[in-house]
Amino acid sequence: MADSFDLLGLPRRPLLSEEEVGSAYRKLAGQLHPDQEGGNEFLFRELGEAAAILRDPARRLRELSNSPSRSQLPSKAAEFFPKIASVLQQADGLINKQSTASNALAKALLAAPLKQLSADLNSALYHLQEWKGSLDQDLVKIDSRWPEHDPDEIHALADSYAYAGRWETQLRERKLSLESLSG
Amino acid sequence: MIAGIDLGTTNSLIGVYESGFPTLLADAEGKRLIPSVVYFPEKGIPVVGREGLRMQAFHPECTFSSVKRLIGRRFGEEGTQNLGGTVGSPVTLPIHGQNLTPEEVSSEILKKLKSIAEARLGAAVDRAVITVPAYFNDAQRAATRKAGELAGFTVERILSEPTAAALSYGLDRLQENAKVAVYDLGGGTFDLSILQLDNGVFEVLSTHGDTRLGGDDLDEAIAGLILREAGMGSLNTERSIRLKQAARAAKETLSTQETTVVLLPFLEGEKSLEIPLTREQVEKVCAPIVARTRALCLRALEDAGLKSEQLDQVILVGGSTRMPLVQKLVAEVFDKEPNLSQHPDEAVALGAVLQGAILEGNLRNVALLDVTPLSLGIETFGGLMNVIIPRNTTIPAKAGEMFTNAVAGQSGMKIKVLQGERELAMDNWMLGSFEIPFPPSQKGAARVGVQFSIDADGILQVLARDTATGIEKIVEIKSAVEVSDEAVEAMLAGSLEHAFEDMDARIFTEARLKAEEMLPAVESALEQLGSELSESEVLEIKKQSSEVISALASKETNRLKQALTALDHSTQTLATKLIERAMG
Repeated sequence: MADSFDLLGLPRRPLLSEEEVGSAYRKLAGQLHPDQEGGNEFLFRELGEAAAILRDPARRLRELSNSPSRSQLPSKAAEFFPKIASVLQQADGLINKQSTASNALAKALLAAPLKQLSADLNSALYHLQEWKGSLDQDLVKIDSRWPEHDPDEIHALADSYAYAGRWETQLRERKLSLESLSG
Repeated sequence: MIAGIDLGTTNSLIGVYESGFPTLLADAEGKRLIPSVVYFPEKGIPVVGREGLRMQAFHPECTFSSVKRLIGRRFGEEGTQNLGGTVGSPVTLPIHGQNLTPEEVSSEILKKLKSIAEARLGAAVDRAVITVPAYFNDAQRAATRKAGELAGFTVERILSEPTAAALSYGLDRLQENAKVAVYDLGGGTFDLSILQLDNGVFEVLSTHGDTRLGGDDLDEAIAGLILREAGMGSLNTERSIRLKQAARAAKETLSTQETTVVLLPFLEGEKSLEIPLTREQVEKVCAPIVARTRALCLRALEDAGLKSEQLDQVILVGGSTRMPLVQKLVAEVFDKEPNLSQHPDEAVALGAVLQGAILEGNLRNVALLDVTPLSLGIETFGGLMNVIIPRNTTIPAKAGEMFTNAVAGQSGMKIKVLQGERELAMDNWMLGSFEIPFPPSQKGAARVGVQFSIDADGILQVLARDTATGIEKIVEIKSAVEVSDEAVEAMLAGSLEHAFEDMDARIFTEARLKAEEMLPAVESALEQLGSELSESEVLEIKKQSSEVISALASKETNRLKQALTALDHSTQTLATKLIERAMG
């Protein structure tokens, strides 16, 4: 069966840029879109799914190593987890309090903790991005040795990307909620 | 021939693709912009457009405008409160002892556009692409499609407005590779879409919006300002429509001038209004409304995984983007001057025409890859939303999931189809629900596959299949207008429970909750900052607090409300100081 790399006509490599995947996807999707003469809805959808996989480093690596996620938390992720969980929990509590506070004084009392929260969110995001940067370096290393590889290393990297991606989305979501509350 | 139609909140347009160019068609007076206003006379045919708008001032109760804000909606939702229908049932509009649906009213606008096109072209025009706000949900899209069918069109495509505008922008730049944002602030709705243009392919990366945010809200705010300036209270319907029309005119004038004078002769009996307004005054009341678009822009950027500096252009469309205030906000949010190359009123209609040309094969090597704006899913155990197709998935799309029975002996599964971004099922829009029966079996033995497919119009179809028996059910998700009586009754039962609550008891409870929040807040604020207030200020606050406590004990609703207002008032300085200190 054709996998995502075949469908998009891209090399089977760990490192693919958003530009490479996007550009290959748009070229083919433009031809396969059901509105086009010779379009094919089934293939168009398959192509869309393939592009979504290849655009996400975690899913791309898993497809490359042909394996599901491991249940073990990568060590770096385990180190981050408590900090991020606590920031997220605090954020949900404060954001909820602020949006339900019915009077100006109650809202004003939250100004200081919200400011602290905003700083904590930024710091957590900063550390997460630093971690993602180191993951990107690992990816480049793995790619340079390709096709020689250690499956365990690929698994661990895929899992790390998955955690980093999910946490980044969650932190950014809280950051946006916070900004729209104060704006 | 496929016509392209922009069915707008305030104005509508129609066009066709002629000898290689998209062309908008004008009515007998040479106007392309047709006001989306319908006047229903007691007898005879409805009057649409400028004539309808003129009649609105004389017969407000027989005239409908901004119906787009009601299409595909149910009574009880935000923005329908003043219509006073039965909560949970589809919105209808009373006229001459009858009830019209918003799609019936919209179909009159579409019929008018159809007749304009047919008069210009001398031929039947019965196929159309109709645009809708990108953030319209399934029900609103389906209802718009229905309106088109009622007007005698075969609706070839429901197209998102910002996507249409991007197509119109990109047509002259088909060789380019660029990332653009389309900021579309119309009469009633706001959308922000981010697209990648790549050699004729238009890929929507993300979209956010608010279907209750637009020029109408600005007019409302300006009308309020005029009333305050005139020192007047509320007006009757007829007068408030005149006032709103004057507010809109003032807003438009102030987009190019610094000052204007609102003239309303004989607004109340002999009393005429003559109120001077400055742009600054109007911007002050409009700013909070326009500011609501900021968070949506940031969210769209976030979903697209982009930073504002990675965008090549921010294209403005929609009549409200003529306001300097809006242009300033866009420049600030995206950190670049907005692109004003597109005609704010016409870009969307032109894009609809172009999509028609793509469908007919007249415009080659151009493809639109649009997305579904809202996540689709079903309710799972515990009342949570289980997303099956996430937002910003390219359409047409299909996805499915398997579900098993949670309880032994269960003989069927109820499936509630939801649309929205909230974690709790109840916070999302319920598109419909159905039951799939299966023979009673052990826990986890029954397996039901649920498959969602979204067509190119962004409209959902659901297929459920019991994999053991092969029983299959294709579920047409009905639009709001077509929900079964049973479903409406069920929703009604829920709302009736609340309706019977004692109003006074509820108001007291609300005030009590507020007091219970307020008292500890006051205490803690005094602890932190009491030393910075004068002795008399502290004394005053303490006096008001004890009044709240005694009012609570007395259980007198009005006394409690007054005490709370007084306390709120006397703690204002305290609140300001707290914020100042926090912001350092």
